Amino acid sequence: MKFEKKRSSTKQEISTASMPDIIFMLLLFFMVTTTLREVEVLVNYSLPEAEAIEKIENKRLISYIWVGKEAKIQINDSLVKMDEIQNIMYGKRQALPNVIVSLRIDKSTDMGFVTDIQQELRKAYCLRINYSANIKI
Amino acid sequence: MIKKKKTPEATIPTSSMADIAFLLLIFFLVATTIDVDSGIGMTLPEFVEDIETVEVPKDRMAALLINETSDVLLDGQPISLFQITATLKPRIQSKIDLPKNKKLIVSIKTDRKTVYNAYISALDQVKEAFFEVRDEYSNSKYGKKFSDLDDEQKTEIKEAVPIIISIAEPEKIK
Repeated sequence: MKFEKKRSSTKQEISTASMPDIIFMLLLFFMVTTTLREVEVLVNYSLPEAEAIEKIENKRLISYIWVGKEAKIQINDSLVKMDEIQNIMYGKRQALPNVIVSLRIDKSTDMGFVTDIQQELRKAYCLRINYSANIKI
Repeated sequence: MIKKKKTPEATIPTSSMADIAFLLLIFFLVATTIDVDSGIGMTLPEFVEDIETVEVPKDRMAALLINETSDVLLDGQPISLFQITATLKPRIQSKIDLPKNKKLIVSIKTDRKTVYNAYISALDQVKEAFFEVRDEYSNSKYGKKFSDLDDEQKTEIKEAVPIIISIAEPEKIK
């Protein structure tokens, strides 16, 4: 006796119609999470390394100060002088009362210079700071 | 009368939609910098004109001095930078059960010429000591790591092991 193989009548294909939707979902996710770099960093710096590192939970609160080699200070988009820091940061603090200042300081900077910046920050009442550092592997 | 040619249904081909979306996706994948801002958090003291000095008992203080060649003095004893964690840990642990105003204060003082990298390494070591003590204490109390505790337990541990680091102003070079 001959058995006839039963074949399903439906086509065996994965429908690709929903593929664009899936891709769009991914796309939207990345678009939302992306923060395109708004500021151009004008100073040359390399961060120190550390182990006991905490993540800053709220990115919106962060305001950056870059300190590069040759003791250049950058806030926002421009290089600033030491005595300008207080005014700029005070303005920032008024706009955002619990601002966290992320200090991105080159690792070969003198501590005296760092302390001067900290003094300015204290005068501007920006008391929450974060020494930016890379994770030591 | 000339018969009009029957026009085919006007549809936009959607088969290339996935490709377009893919291109966009790849662009955003490349452009994304999910850079987590990480670093060592500190809170600066308020700025006051005339500083009032408060005497702190000697056993409550751990004074770290870092000079310009990255040598470290801990309470007058020269130690290597990588020993700071191990040296501080027992001192923090011995003060867990003491009241709030008797916990260990770590004071870090640098020269004006000290390299920032050395300061961060020292600060890192100090923080590491505090974090390890917190972890061990929460482990012995709740059997969990500090980061896995709920908020209430966290505040309790934080109260038992507060991180008090004082950054002293460097002295002017003579």
